[in-house]
Formats: sequence, C-alpha cells, structure tokens
Amino acid sequence: MNQFGVLLKKEWRENVRNYKLFWIPTVFILLGILEPVTNYFLPQILDSVGNLPEGAVFKFPIPMPEQIIAAIMGQYQFVGLLIIALAYMGTIAGERRSGTATLLYARPLSFSAYFISKWIIASVIALLSVWLGFLAGYYYTYLLFGSVDLMGLVQFMASYSLWILLVVSIVMVSSAMMPNAGLAAAVSLGVIFISQLVDSLLGAYWPVSPMKLPAYAAAWLETAPDLGDFWWSVGVTIVLIALLIVLGIFLSRKRAATTKV
Amino acid sequence: MEEPRLILLLLPVFLIQLGLMIFALVDLIKTPYTNGPKWMWAVIIIVVNIIGPILYFVMGRRNY
Repeated sequence: MNQFGVLLKKEWRENVRNYKLFWIPTVFILLGILEPVTNYFLPQILDSVGNLPEGAVFKFPIPMPEQIIAAIMGQYQFVGLLIIALAYMGTIAGERRSGTATLLYARPLSFSAYFISKWIIASVIALLSVWLGFLAGYYYTYLLFGSVDLMGLVQFMASYSLWILLVVSIVMVSSAMMPNAGLAAAVSLGVIFISQLVDSLLGAYWPVSPMKLPAYAAAWLETAPDLGDFWWSVGVTIVLIALLIVLGIFLSRKRAATTKV
Repeated sequence: MEEPRLILLLLPVFLIQLGLMIFALVDLIKTPYTNGPKWMWAVIIIVVNIIGPILYFVMGRRNY
C-alpha cells in the first residue's frame, strides 16, 4: 500500500466522520428540489403573501424546463459555491491549526500525494453533490414543467462539473496558502466572485474564459454554445486547474512550517 | 384542491430537512466540545430551517 492510497483513505474516513459526505449532497439536493417547486407555486405564493388588490389578475408566463434547470445552476453559483468554500476552507489550514498536520509533516511525506489526495476527495464529494442535486432538480422539473433534452442535460452537467473542479482547486490552494480557515474561505470566495464580476462586466471583449464556463454549460440546454469558444474555454480551464494543483503542492510544502505544535 | 398535491410535492423536502436536523443533533450530542455553548447550537439547529444545521456543521463543529 503506497502513501497516496493511505492518504486517500484517511481523507475519505475524515469526510465520513465529519459528515461532509452526507450533509453537502443533502443541501445541494434540497436546493435542486426547491427551485422548481417554488417556481411552480409562484402564483399561489404571491397570492397568499403578496397583498394584491382584490381581483388582480396576473398572467404568469410558464417558464420553460430549461430555464428551471438554469435557475438551479444560478442557485449553485451563489449558495452552492459558498457551501463548497465553507466546507473545504479548513482542509489544509485547519489541519495545521489542529495539529493533525504536525503528525503528518513529522513523517517523510510526499506533499504531492498529500495535496492531490485532498483535492480528489473534495472534488468527488463536490461533484457527487452537484450531480445528485441536478438529478433531483431534473426529476421535479420533469414532473412539474416537462422534460428537458437528456443529451443537453448530460452535456450541461459535464461542462458545469469542470467549473466545479476549478472552484474546488481555488479553495484548496487558498487553504494551503492562508494561515487559517476563515481567511482561506474569504480569499477563495473573493477570487471567484470578483473574477466572475469582472468577466461579466468586461467579458464581452474575450469569448474564451474559464469564468464563462457556467454560461456555456447553460447554453447546452437550449442548443449549443459556440463550439470554438467553448472548447478553448474548456482547454484554458483544464490548464488552469493543473497549474493550481502544482501551485497547491508547492504552497503546502513551502508553508508546512506554519503548523502549530 | 391544491393542498394535498403541495404536501405530496414537499414531503421529500421535509424529510430531507428532518434528516439534516437529526444528523446535526446526533453529532451535537456526541461531540464533547463545540464553538460556543451547546444549548445555543441545539436551538439554532431546531429553530432555523435548513440553514441551522448547515451553520452548525460549518461553524459549530470543532474538528479536534
């Protein structure tokens, strides 16, 4: 049994014991279900809390099923990313504080095995959550609004998964860089939301960007995004993820000395 | 007319929410230390829907 396998097992066991394996998917499933249900009952909800004048009649356009799936993605883009960042802010930074890291660093540890084992388990749980959430959301959308082209849904989920991997990488690198978990969450969320903001403000000038990946993913639901731009963005994102992993390995070695005894 | 349908639709949501709450409470009872008093977390988990258990898992638990 090599070191990587042992570390992978340790990471997995940790995520089972602190219930991350259970509560993160649960939250994503809940978000996925609530979006179609609230959209479906929106007229009734407005009726009961909206304080509308007697006899007011609204014609609500019935949203397309594709729009509902895209709206679920909108939820994940804010609440979902927040949860991923908060759940994994402490993977390395918190370990240094708690002393687990001291026990690990005292051994001849391969930092690439250390970082990559953490990255793999965090990615597996994040992807599992997102997929289960979209499947639950898709099921409800199917019941309430109608069916979505399945091929489009698969392409959408595959493209969005790559974006989630990028988010996990950013969170892991900031956890390796920062002295404590809170700062790691702040930095990673700052980087993600600010770069998204910049991209949405100035992004018209460059069609190729990892930040556009969610938008391209949503375009798969309707027809297809511009394929050239899409594949270039996918390529850039994969390169960026690889660079972030290398940076993370480097940082977790360099900052190993900050561990508390 | 719409009532039974709404309840049927939201039943899984209630069950998931209940499951999350039970998970958090069981963990709260078993763990020796939390950040902040235990009774406060018990109140937060039970009273605040959905967000309560998440807050506990993210902020209340000490992993050491």
